Amino acid sequence: MAKAFKYGFKGITGYLEHAERELLRGLLNDVISMLETESREDEDPLAALIGLDMDVQEPSDRALLRLLPNAMKDDDAGSLEFRQLTERSVRESKIGALRATALGLDKDELLLSAEDARRWSMALNDVRLVLAERLDIRDEADADHIHSMQDWSQAEDVESYLALVYNFTTWLQESLVQSMLAALERKS
Amino acid sequence: MTPSVAFGTAIGTDTDERTETAQQASTDVLTAPDIPWNLVIWNDPVNLMSYVSFVFQSYFGYSEAKANKLMMEVHKKGRSIVAHGSKEQVEQHAVAMHGFGLWATVEKAASGNDAPGKDGSTRG
Repeated sequence: MAKAFKYGFKGITGYLEHAERELLRGLLNDVISMLETESREDEDPLAALIGLDMDVQEPSDRALLRLLPNAMKDDDAGSLEFRQLTERSVRESKIGALRATALGLDKDELLLSAEDARRWSMALNDVRLVLAERLDIRDEADADHIHSMQDWSQAEDVESYLALVYNFTTWLQESLVQSMLAALERKS
Repeated sequence: MTPSVAFGTAIGTDTDERTETAQQASTDVLTAPDIPWNLVIWNDPVNLMSYVSFVFQSYFGYSEAKANKLMMEVHKKGRSIVAHGSKEQVEQHAVAMHGFGLWATVEKAASGNDAPGKDGSTRG
């Protein structure tokens, strides 16, 4: 069984079993594949270098749209312009955090630096955002309903399995963030 | 007060920088350089309250009390203006917030009552 993250002498520590690490690695890789764009041959290399993408569109997948939301409410043209200038760098920073977290899953005893912890918290958050879209969590009542499913013997279909995975990831992220807040408090 | 601002910049405290970005913005016909913009964070049922507070503390350098106050405003009212500044500044914050997975938008500050006033430039 996984142990909650805690902040102590050595820093932020946690423990995940092999099967739990495999599960998380799979989820992280799924989100990485969603965020990776195919490079186009006709792409302007200079534009790519400075992070522009003039051909970008608003994502049609709701989960991807939640990861890369519109930056202006009720302003499609403004949001698209913002995307052209910034979406590539948001994708890259997310992929960076997801990859670093997946790489850190190489042993069961976890010891995270402040920077590791920040990347882990971002990566776990992105995993939860994607799972929440797949589970149709639209409001607090939906979230409470999903949260009530805690018993792995209830995992009888894809939805209940996803709900249990979501709850596990939520629990893990919450313990991590509490440790990060404890670390912040210690520093101030 | 909170020292961990390594990945954040202060908002609206650097007059020189504001002048510079204002000049850049003047090439955009729609953006008057002296119109302040707001960074808005929207409520969603997924992001943990603790995480949202952590992001406000670590990125903006806000005190725990201020971060929690803004987080509760997002949670209860559905949205909160958490920073303001030039268009470029709040857009940069929006990119960072999207990186953290928070649902952020930028908007022109309405004249008067909607703006966070001096509050947005108070650190820690």
